[in-house]
Amino acid sequence: MTGENGNIIEINGLTKRFGSFTAVDNISFHVRKGEIFGFLGANGAGKTTAMKILCGLSLPTSGEGTVNGFSINGEQEQIKRHIGYMSQKFSLYPDLKVWENIRLFGGIYGLGFKELRKKCVSIPESLGMEDYADKSVSSLPLGWKQKLAFSIAMIHNPEIVFLDEPTGGVDPETRRMFWEMICGAAENGTTVFVTTHYMDEAEYCDRVSIMVDGRIADIGSPEELKGRYGEPDMDSVFRKLATKAKRF
Amino acid sequence: MKTGIKTLESVVFLLEKEFKQFFRDPGLPKMVIMFPVLMMLVFPYAVSMDIKNINLAVVDNCRSTESDELVKNCTSSGYFNLVTICDDPSEAMVMMEKNDVDAILTINPDFSRNLVKEGTMSLGININTVNGTKGNIGAGYLNSCMMKFASSSDSASVEPVSGSIVTSTKYYYNPYMDYKVFMVPALIVIAITMITGFFPALNIVSEKERGTIEQINVTPVKKSAFIICKLIPYWLVAFFILTACLLIAKVVFGYRCAGDLSALYLFTTLHIIVTAGLGPLISNYSENAQQSMFITWFFMMIFMLVSGIFTPISSMPAWARAITYFNPMRYYADAMRSVFLKGSTVIDVWYDAAGLAVIGASMLIAAIRGYRKTT
Repeated sequence: MTGENGNIIEINGLTKRFGSFTAVDNISFHVRKGEIFGFLGANGAGKTTAMKILCGLSLPTSGEGTVNGFSINGEQEQIKRHIGYMSQKFSLYPDLKVWENIRLFGGIYGLGFKELRKKCVSIPESLGMEDYADKSVSSLPLGWKQKLAFSIAMIHNPEIVFLDEPTGGVDPETRRMFWEMICGAAENGTTVFVTTHYMDEAEYCDRVSIMVDGRIADIGSPEELKGRYGEPDMDSVFRKLATKAKRF
Repeated sequence: MKTGIKTLESVVFLLEKEFKQFFRDPGLPKMVIMFPVLMMLVFPYAVSMDIKNINLAVVDNCRSTESDELVKNCTSSGYFNLVTICDDPSEAMVMMEKNDVDAILTINPDFSRNLVKEGTMSLGININTVNGTKGNIGAGYLNSCMMKFASSSDSASVEPVSGSIVTSTKYYYNPYMDYKVFMVPALIVIAITMITGFFPALNIVSEKERGTIEQINVTPVKKSAFIICKLIPYWLVAFFILTACLLIAKVVFGYRCAGDLSALYLFTTLHIIVTAGLGPLISNYSENAQQSMFITWFFMMIFMLVSGIFTPISSMPAWARAITYFNPMRYYADAMRSVFLKGSTVIDVWYDAAGLAVIGASMLIAAIRGYRKTT
């Protein structure tokens, strides 16, 4: 479900305060259907807080917006049916096996027993971890865990998938494979909303926003931003904007 | 309708997960087996309130056949250890001050003369009442020894007893006043409350600590489905503990439930709704395992102390009695003892069922309401 203008996420004046601290300060932006949207910012800039509001995990202090046509003020449970979410902190069940995690989350999203049986085979296969399907998740190396977590976030073919630093601490080769999976998801029509600290990854995004001190300092395609600030790469653009931060 | 089926399906998957996690936990299943066994085998002996081994000192200033007879009478009762027979009262007092002696029986020099001539006994009894219960019961035992002696020696009578009133006492339900049989249903209550009170709270808080609860909160799963799936395994755990305890009571002690077993299971089910509802309720307001442990421990302590398990509710002051009406353990313990010892039916103790049902429903509703998928 998208607005008339083809935007799947529309946010206006979103603010989140914790006591006297304003984590997210009156931000407005939109995300187009099917694009890879990079949500950049230094540690503590407010990315995760904003993302949790979009996922329906957190209520905004003020401001409004829609995700897949549902309001972030009161329609959180509808939003949750249509999104996938992969947290910064690995959050599959470590004491359950690979296939058991797939079955659990697939089951919660209402996949049905037949479909689940197929997924429990096809997902480990597509990730090249057939031999580990019957191993507990806690025994997997980090990169594999992250790929599994992404596949499980995508298990119900959501309209949007939110990825919070999915490649943090992952080796370069796994990082490359991870981005192949992200691009594949986008080609199949899923909108990808991703945060990252790797500026080479920002180059893969269709559009990026850069958050500084809870505000969006700038937004645009990587090409536009590089042109605007006269820098050769996203890394330099990021440094130029992020060094203006006063908060930390 | 469609969401109804979806909810039911998600319950199946969540339950599957809870059971797998329960049996894979390195400590939980062992704990659930060991706890009732230890409780039932060790505690009935350890928490015995039967008073035995009262240390007795005798200050015998008479040294006659009659006084010898009296001392023999006391020691043969089986309740007293005769520590010493001496002549000096101050010596006995020193021993009591050192806590070597619980009771002093002083026999006056004119004891045997009075006994023969006037039929009265001139005695003194001093009791150490630092432990009030032990002191009172000890004094009672000593008194009854005197009475027995008085009635056996023809002419003697103890002053306050006129002999015109004869009381005969018959004990119902626990004829030998065996403290163990009184404690067995109470120990079942404690074992079930401890296990099902602590573990669900810990379980949910550990999901918070690991961050897995966030992955659940971002799915469309119903709050009530999540909470109820957390409780069902502990309901079965409680049934397991109850069954194990009843078997041990039967096999080891030879006690059997006087009433209908199904009544015990019904009251346990009602009680589980309370304790297992308390767990999620506490976990809603604690961020880590330490917090939840401390809060649970606090509630358990209060529940247990004012439950009537160790001390009768009827002898509590009015304000404490008022508190017990909010204590689920009061109803559960009363119901379990009534059914086990007296053979009461559910209808006989309907007020216990009602009390548990009201508290349980409030806990569960508060737990589901208080759990926020969006904060």
